[in-house]
Amino acid sequence: MHSMRAEIEGQGQIENPRPLAFTIWIKRLAVKLWLGIREWCGDSAYERYVQAQRTNSEKVCLLTPAEFYVERVNRRYSRPNRCC
Amino acid sequence: MKRPLSVVIWIVIALVGAGALGGIAFHRGEPLNATWFVVAAGCCYLVAYRFYSAFIAARLLTLDDTRATPSERHDDGRDFVPTNKWILFGHHFAAIAGPGPLVGPTLAAQFGYLPGTLWLIAGAVFAGCVQDFIVLFCSIRRDGKTLGEIAREEVSQRGGFIAQLAVLAIMVILLGVVALVIVNALKSSPWATFTLAATIPVALLLGLYLRFLRPGRVLEASFIGVALVLFVVVAGQWVADSPSWSHVFTLSGVTLAFALIAYGFAASALPVWLLLAPRDYLSAFIKAGAIFSLAAGILLVRPQVLMPPLTRFIDGSGPVFAGKIFPFCFITIACGAISGFHSLISSGTTPKMIIRESHARFIGYGAMLMESFVGVMAMIAACAMTPGVYFAINSPASIVGATSDAAAATISSWGYPLQAQTMTDLARAVGEQTLLNRAGGAPSLAVGMAQIFSSTIGGPRLLSIWYHFAIMFEALFILTVLDAGTRVGRFMVQELGGRVWKPFATTGWWPGILISSALIVGAWGYFLYQGVVDPLGGINSLWPLFGISNQLLAAVALVVATTILLKMKRIRWIWLTLIPMTWLVIITMTASYQKIFDPNPRLGFLSYANALTAQIAAGKIPAAKIADTQRVIFNQRLDAAVTAVLAAMIIVLIIEALLQWYRILNADPRSVLHETACVATRWPEDFSGASYTATAAEPDAPAMEG
Repeated sequence: MHSMRAEIEGQGQIENPRPLAFTIWIKRLAVKLWLGIREWCGDSAYERYVQAQRTNSEKVCLLTPAEFYVERVNRRYSRPNRCC
Repeated sequence: MKRPLSVVIWIVIALVGAGALGGIAFHRGEPLNATWFVVAAGCCYLVAYRFYSAFIAARLLTLDDTRATPSERHDDGRDFVPTNKWILFGHHFAAIAGPGPLVGPTLAAQFGYLPGTLWLIAGAVFAGCVQDFIVLFCSIRRDGKTLGEIAREEVSQRGGFIAQLAVLAIMVILLGVVALVIVNALKSSPWATFTLAATIPVALLLGLYLRFLRPGRVLEASFIGVALVLFVVVAGQWVADSPSWSHVFTLSGVTLAFALIAYGFAASALPVWLLLAPRDYLSAFIKAGAIFSLAAGILLVRPQVLMPPLTRFIDGSGPVFAGKIFPFCFITIACGAISGFHSLISSGTTPKMIIRESHARFIGYGAMLMESFVGVMAMIAACAMTPGVYFAINSPASIVGATSDAAAATISSWGYPLQAQTMTDLARAVGEQTLLNRAGGAPSLAVGMAQIFSSTIGGPRLLSIWYHFAIMFEALFILTVLDAGTRVGRFMVQELGGRVWKPFATTGWWPGILISSALIVGAWGYFLYQGVVDPLGGINSLWPLFGISNQLLAAVALVVATTILLKMKRIRWIWLTLIPMTWLVIITMTASYQKIFDPNPRLGFLSYANALTAQIAAGKIPAAKIADTQRVIFNQRLDAAVTAVLAAMIIVLIIEALLQWYRILNADPRSVLHETACVATRWPEDFSGASYTATAAEPDAPAMEG
């Protein structure tokens, strides 16, 4: 975030800063969209789990990605999660 | 300056919406453009969201953002995960959007475009969105408890048990009906059958990839899967053109029913990572893509709506399903306006992920508005084809005849002109042998979608590809409902069985898994089979049964919500839930009574059974068909009994609730509100749940193995 702002401010000395600022805005939007899709579909679930475990408990006993995936889908599909 | 401008903008939106609604309601004669529907729905949703949902949030629920939500108090990275509100909106919408809002409005189009469209908009704004929003709020305030648990605590023990039974009943009927929709779409269609069958090995492949090769890499696996599924849609054409392969995949309704029953059993009993989860990932991406494509297609093509605003079938003589506009338009639309099943999602997964109480308005109310818009799009797609074609596709052979000539003659005599050649040409254009007698909504919706898509990309040359893409899209996510629902049903059966014999409740015990899977599959499989062999087409009996059970569950959710609001002393605004609840009770009770006792054999289960019994007694049924007819008689009596039990359950629940309301209004100390104690949030005001996402992109984020 900080580096991006510095980048924009640094480019302010160039004759026409607008196209570059627009490119950066597009890049940021694309990154946001990409991260959003990853989170929506469950691609980043393991990363979230690791972070939550490290934040919330002192003794961390982490599942491997494969173990976590199996545990997650087992839990997810044992309650209504798709509607009519 | 800002405020007057905002007032002007909202007045303009309201006036445009009212104008468009008026245009839809009073327009007669020339076909109407679909843009009217999109504008009317869009403006009504905007006004409802801006004002009505804000009113509910502020006055009725008094949402409190200083209060910690379950995702903050129990954050474990598993169930309780603080999630950005836009992403959670996507999760919630993907969970609530099923085949219902596509099939229901398509079937209800037999009354004309007007009643269905009005109910889709008004029902969502005043009932469906309110139910989803309030149930979500109630569950947030109770650590994400389920509807059954909340009903047990807030209404009574018996109320909770009834809610659980209602969930199991709706699940069984729902699965039987949606399976019937697939069967009617696939029978005698080698292209569609091959496409859907080929998605099973694709899902298995993805399951192995996600389990062993790249654990948890859902996105890349889904891209591979979607590419493979699109390929099999095209490959289906080669199968249909090959005489030998075409023969293999040309299946009758009964064969397809048994294939689906076997599939449901396998999906329930096999490890969830192998088939069920990867199919769901595939389905979620294709569902999102197809819904957005349909919206874009309607906006680009702006098709003419050829169906009249009201048809002659509002009198109850409709060929698609029997019953007058009241109550059957509301029962048939079901999920697009209000769905009881949504209360299970609103009280299950979503409340455990929400960051702020105020997000419940956007997610609960907003996602249901979007689902209602999907229903409006389905209505447009169904009404954009000529009425004659619509009735030819959706009417059973026993009413319109089994040949193009007979169907054209019958439907033309109703005042909806149809040439026999039109149906033959249309079937050839979409790559099918016939499109006649395919009740269930899926094929007519697919024809409507294909016409819209092919007007955007590819023209008539791609009509057959688009038709089979639409069939695959509908069937794929119906199958997802089927396998996910069967598995959840299996857990419910195991839980109930565990009360009788404890080992049965052990979810990892194989005999328990096999027996409970067989029980749940047997239950919905029976409804499916009876629908397939029903001379009146199955949908005529089963879709109203599904609608009744779904709307009864919605009534259960609103009874629970009203009880909680009374306990919260919100008596002044109680009509916000009381009116939709009363309306649902009236329409479900009327529909139940008519389905059981109506003297018209096409409508009343018992009168149809009696009519068939009389025909046997009079010797009008050939000896070879007597056994089949007796089975139909038994099925009609069974359907009557199921409807009666469902109605009795809601009556008992209402009596329980009335007792509880009496206690609350008399300040009885036994009526206690069971909210979780208030804990102040420690998150900063601008916390959006994005920190996890941002961290994931940083270089020192935990590396994924595999």
